[in-house]
Amino acid sequence: MDDNKEKRTVIEAEIPMGTVHPAALEPYRVRLFVEDEIVRDAEITVGINHRGVERIMEGLPVEKANSLTEKICGICSNSHIWNSCLTAEKPLGIEVPERAGYIRIIMEELERLHSHLLYLAHGSEVLGHETFAMRLFYIRETVMELLGMIGGNRVHYGASILGGVRPRCELDEMRIQQIKNGMDLLEEKITAFADRFVSDPLVMSRITGVGVISQKDALRLACTGPTLRATGVEKDLRRDMEEYDPFEFDVITQDDGDVKSQLLMRVMENFESIKIIRQAIRDLPPGPITNRSWEMKDTPLTKSYIEVPRGTLYHSYALEDGRVRNCVIRTPSMANIGAMQYACIGHHITDAQLCVVQCDPCFTCTDRAIQIIEI
Amino acid sequence: MSVAYSVIAVLGTLVVAFIVSLLLPGIERKFIHARIQQRIGPPITSPGIMAPIKFFFKQTINPNSPMPRLYNALPLISLLVVTVLLLFLIPQMYFVGALASVIAIIGFLKVEEVMYMFMGSLSRSVLSVRMPFPDIVKGAKHPETPRRFLEELSTLRAFRLIAFGSFPVYIALFVSVAVTGSIFLSDIVAYQQLHGPILFTVAGALGAVVFFIGYMILLNEYPFGILKAKADVIEGPYMEYAAKYRAYNYLTRGFLMFVLASLFATLFLGIAPNILNPNFIITIIVALLFPMLMAVMSAFSPIFTYKQFYPTVAAVSILGVLAIVAASL
Repeated sequence: MDDNKEKRTVIEAEIPMGTVHPAALEPYRVRLFVEDEIVRDAEITVGINHRGVERIMEGLPVEKANSLTEKICGICSNSHIWNSCLTAEKPLGIEVPERAGYIRIIMEELERLHSHLLYLAHGSEVLGHETFAMRLFYIRETVMELLGMIGGNRVHYGASILGGVRPRCELDEMRIQQIKNGMDLLEEKITAFADRFVSDPLVMSRITGVGVISQKDALRLACTGPTLRATGVEKDLRRDMEEYDPFEFDVITQDDGDVKSQLLMRVMENFESIKIIRQAIRDLPPGPITNRSWEMKDTPLTKSYIEVPRGTLYHSYALEDGRVRNCVIRTPSMANIGAMQYACIGHHITDAQLCVVQCDPCFTCTDRAIQIIEI
Repeated sequence: MSVAYSVIAVLGTLVVAFIVSLLLPGIERKFIHARIQQRIGPPITSPGIMAPIKFFFKQTINPNSPMPRLYNALPLISLLVVTVLLLFLIPQMYFVGALASVIAIIGFLKVEEVMYMFMGSLSRSVLSVRMPFPDIVKGAKHPETPRRFLEELSTLRAFRLIAFGSFPVYIALFVSVAVTGSIFLSDIVAYQQLHGPILFTVAGALGAVVFFIGYMILLNEYPFGILKAKADVIEGPYMEYAAKYRAYNYLTRGFLMFVLASLFATLFLGIAPNILNPNFIITIIVALLFPMLMAVMSAFSPIFTYKQFYPTVAAVSILGVLAIVAASL
């Protein structure tokens, strides 16, 4: 794990953090192996919130299973249901109307915005900067209101269905105007926050050079999403997704791989999301938002990958008599756990939670598979 | 008559100080933190008055402590130490001689700091108890490593605070000694009544800045709250205090805020806390201003790690030494 870190293995004690800890939003456990107050090794344990979603999905009608995937995560719920729909739509040959595709993108980018803002707020809280955290939550409210307006809920919107999006997610002129206004407001507020953030010497001293993950280590540890891009790797699955073909956006990267890079990475990605949403609103094609002319049939095991706020989300299942079989879901946080552990090494205990949080973990989503270790 | 006057002055000052101290945490959180963070905030009486009252009626959960009675007594001892400290700041108590001196004040503050070490070392938080996960099975990392409790970690930090962190406040105390040439509070107050407040000299102004940073460090307020950083040690030494013992902690903190402000007023303005002196209102104003300034600073700062804490303390201490040098010239 710590091949490239300093070769010191003097471990005086173990400091356990979690499963219940104020700096951790979710139930997970970090074991820090320390020398004085410097972390020499770290171990993250998940599995406390296991719900067995994949097992529950086994044998469910695909429509029900899709709805269930949304409950995997409260932050990236749209990503799960969208990817689950894509997993079935591809082998069934369902043509998604162009307008529905645009609305899906709008929902996904709004979700990315609120996820990144939540990440920044939580990061600020772990830094001990409650004022930044509070202000970011206020900024995030704009996105939450837009999501609530389109989907009917602030958290589980249920936008995607097989063949398009739900009728309630149709965007009329009034909604389009609200989204436009929301984007203007967000751009202004996020810019002001970013200026304040980078010009704060105290904050910069806390996050610069902390939790460094080099590009080589990020690739070795199979990092994904913004965690990977913050090390300088220009890898964004949205570039390869045909749903994003009509949109122009930049893949944001940072070079240092430290907490500062990770935070700034998300700040900059927010602007790209705003750019994509504006394009989608501007070019929103007319037409239906649902295609109901398709037939159910058995399909082989199909894999689908999409880029969600935390990285690459994987869904796979087969269909048999319209029911889901052999479902496997892998969330990006699972891929980033190695980086979280690695980032803690060599830093002060107070920075450990920051090193974990910098990778934007969502362990509740990750807690689905039970790993049975043969003793 | 003079004895009755003294008794009224001492008891009255203690009572008023205690009442004002109950409002200080509320002012800090409601008027400053909440306003800056654009939220409503708690009622002004909530953190300092209603919360302790609530805790007095809660069930006491005894911690897993090797010496539970001593552990539970520590908040009361802290409150007692802080009360005694205020007692010797009152002019009517200056007859006790050496106890009403800067050296004695440092001693009392040190005792208050040492309490954190005792609190931390006598507590075993449930948060640090081994969870039913395969820590010791094949494949686990470092399976036989001794477990350190979060409070123990706080104890180590309390030691660092005593050894180094609280330098600024003690150096600032000696600015007034350097100016007046005496360690006795009576002399320091008398000097300022003759020559005007030390605060309005170069040495005094520098000393006041140093004192204020020391005030924040002693109160474990962000960004200097290394003893109770939420990001790691949560509440540190206080973590396992429940019910009335937690209430005592709250009361002690509020009272310490007032006492340190009174100390500042005594040493830098020459106004000793005395309810029968109209200038006591200035002490109260200082006691209100300090938490407000502290709240502003903490609202705009992240918590420091040692990487920021040590250089800050060192720089502020050097500033304090410069203030003493300036006072001696």
